[in-house]
Amino acid sequence: MKGIMTPRHVALWIAFAAIMLLLPQVVSNGTLRIIIFANFLAIFAMSWDFLSGKTGYVSFGHPFLIGIGAYTTAILSYRFHMPIEYSIPIAVLTTIAGGTFFFLPALRIKGTYFALVTLAFMELIYQLTQVIRPDLTGGTRGISGVKTLLVGAVPNYYFSFLLMLGIALVLWVLARTRLGTALDAIAMNEEAVSGSGLSTTKLKLFAFMVSAAVAGIGGAFYVHYLGSIAPRALFDIDFVFTIIVSALIGGASTIVGPMLGAFFMTFLLEYLRPLLPGSERYLIYGLVALVLYVYQPKGIYAIIADLRDGMRSKNANNSKNSGKVGDGKAA
Amino acid sequence: MTQILIQGFLLSGLYALIAVGFTLIFSVGRVLNLAYGAYIMMGGYAYFYAVHIWHLPKTLGFLSAVVVGAIAGILMYRLLVKRLEGDQVAVEISTLILAVIIQAGIVLLFNDSSKILLPIVNGVWHVGSTTITKNMVMAMIASWIILGGLLAFVKFTHLGRAIQAVSMDPKGALISGIRTDRINLTTWAISGALGAVAGVFFATHTQLNPSMWVSPLIIAVAVVIVGGIGSIIGSLIVAHIIGFMEIITSTLIGAELRGIFTMLLIIIVLVVRPQGLFGRGDL
Amino acid sequence: MAKLLEVENVFKRFGGIVATNDLSFDVEEGESLALIGPNGAGKTTIFSLIMGEIRQNSGSIKLQGREISRMPTHQRIQSGISRTYQVPRPFADMDVAGNIRVGMMPDSLWQMLLRGPDPKAELDVALSVGFKQEDLERTPSTLSMGDLRKLELARTLATKPEVMLLDEVFAGLTLAEIAQISELLAKKRKEGMTFVIVSHDLRSLEPLVDRAVAMNFGRQIAEGTFQEVMGDEEVRAAYLGQ
Repeated sequence: MKGIMTPRHVALWIAFAAIMLLLPQVVSNGTLRIIIFANFLAIFAMSWDFLSGKTGYVSFGHPFLIGIGAYTTAILSYRFHMPIEYSIPIAVLTTIAGGTFFFLPALRIKGTYFALVTLAFMELIYQLTQVIRPDLTGGTRGISGVKTLLVGAVPNYYFSFLLMLGIALVLWVLARTRLGTALDAIAMNEEAVSGSGLSTTKLKLFAFMVSAAVAGIGGAFYVHYLGSIAPRALFDIDFVFTIIVSALIGGASTIVGPMLGAFFMTFLLEYLRPLLPGSERYLIYGLVALVLYVYQPKGIYAIIADLRDGMRSKNANNSKNSGKVGDGKAA
Repeated sequence: MTQILIQGFLLSGLYALIAVGFTLIFSVGRVLNLAYGAYIMMGGYAYFYAVHIWHLPKTLGFLSAVVVGAIAGILMYRLLVKRLEGDQVAVEISTLILAVIIQAGIVLLFNDSSKILLPIVNGVWHVGSTTITKNMVMAMIASWIILGGLLAFVKFTHLGRAIQAVSMDPKGALISGIRTDRINLTTWAISGALGAVAGVFFATHTQLNPSMWVSPLIIAVAVVIVGGIGSIIGSLIVAHIIGFMEIITSTLIGAELRGIFTMLLIIIVLVVRPQGLFGRGDL
Repeated sequence: MAKLLEVENVFKRFGGIVATNDLSFDVEEGESLALIGPNGAGKTTIFSLIMGEIRQNSGSIKLQGREISRMPTHQRIQSGISRTYQVPRPFADMDVAGNIRVGMMPDSLWQMLLRGPDPKAELDVALSVGFKQEDLERTPSTLSMGDLRKLELARTLATKPEVMLLDEVFAGLTLAEIAQISELLAKKRKEGMTFVIVSHDLRSLEPLVDRAVAMNFGRQIAEGTFQEVMGDEEVRAAYLGQ
């Protein structure tokens, strides 16, 4: 929870950025494409995390937001030949506006129910894209031949990496402000936040709009990377699962966590490909996720932090055993 | 018109059956078991394996579905839900992960192509211009019997009343000497078995495939949410609302729009009246 | 002296149960009022009603003469009321300073974004309830019950209230902790804070209040000085009869 950047942190980040920038020199294009996917997944996971990880309002319908962004720019650029530099910003704004319009009423309701409404939204839009104006959305088959922004694995790799890093940086700065602290507090005890004189509706709406903006950016750029979009792959429970699991496995509400998780899960999925070529990979994938989640709900980030703390202070271990109060949820 | 009425009742019966096991867990444990759809799928596959591959009699097919469902329920409670100690968000997330795992497991065992489950009872009846499969009638009758049995079980048996007590006030039940842990375990087993039985009928109605669990899950969720927690009668009514609306939309407007009404109903009811239409209003 | 908080004919029903029945009382500026009564008398309910966590069926609640019944909780806090709970529920993953920080935040997204926390002000609040500087980095799971109550008071004080509603402030505390909290409340009282205090620990409560209101079954059954109220027949019957 500390917001201090030590020189060691700075050094680690610089090293990380340097490795990532040099990577195209050493690895194959195939690997780069995997990393590109991981970068986008990290963006989606960070978007999910800023809403759900922080405030505790779990969204099962994040592809709904991603889909608004992706479809808007795909339709504008493919059907109406709008230049990408206009269609993407419009897509992002549409995601924020559309998402807010639909989700805002849902923020009134509490955790479990919120999750269900979002899930229902995703299924709703999945069915709607197939039947309403298929001349625009392409119906079940979606749209292919969407203009791509860059050509080749290397430029796309650099672009997606920088996009991810930029978003991470913005979210990181936001999380360090008092606003970020207040959002964390909502997950711990929402009543006490309004009991501190803060409008939780306003805070949740802000978290939601940031989350929607990031989802919109990610979705819009992703469709211009892939060049195609189809409802089944997008509004899919496996996709929801991958996003949520990445964020949670990495460590919710940490920014670094969802990035870590996205890379971990993407590579796990890729390394399983030779062993299990089809969707049965999700068996191992899911088991790993489940065991990690039940063992440490705070994710890999917390496990690493625990290990580090454990090594640093083997003998100063007596501070955490007096009466535990306020596990977040009581009454 | 008759067609809508008859098919509406048949489909609603099936939906009520699908929802009842889910309602049970939600009212007792106050947790959303998102792996409930997986019971339905496992029930369908267990029956398929027993009857179509091992050529066992249909009764044994049902029995194997019941056993598989009950065991899945017990394992889920013991290994997962109990550990998470009523943390609702954690239960939701982990049961969702579990559902995806089970889906992948099914792909591994049976591959991901769709399978047709033959009707449990063959034959059709003709009522005017409408054709009714005996299989759907059987599903509806089974649904009514099971629902009636469940109501009687909850009302008249000692165990049933204990389940009800736990659903109303877990702490109070604990103080009155009810072993809530045992009750929870039993409820999870019953819920799993009910889901699996519903799955056999559902699979004969549609078909077997590894992603078949999502739509019955959403129907179950809709029925419970819209009906209101802990209200078996409410669930029954909502199962009929949803069933009829689906039939009406698919006959009058178009089959692709079938599910949209269900989704809209969930969203509108949750936002406007979160306690459900017939609920106790405690959430 | 002006009336700070006025509760007038407040009626609240939960299903068939009447939690507060035509309840009226008021609190003057700088006054400290004890709210006593047996379990289930409706004391916590009236706190929740005043804070807007639940809404009354009828009756009015005024702060400085202004009707607040329609305000959401956070606006009531901004207008100058705040409360503590029987069971302290701090932000579990935040340290003491973080908990106080949330209490001090202004309800403006821009200010929350652009202006950082004020460690000195946080420290001042922490010190004012009897924490030491080194306690600032402790997390709630390492705090004793007494410290948790202090943390609640600190977070509440951080919202700069004019009247504080304290619910069972002494419950679960050791004698030493009771003495510490009493001393703290006495000091705040001297500084002019207005209090409404609920406690079953009548002996600790008595020296902290100017006046008392006794409740039973949601109604007011007695009102006066602490001595008068405790001497009242009906109050004695209510306490003994439970």
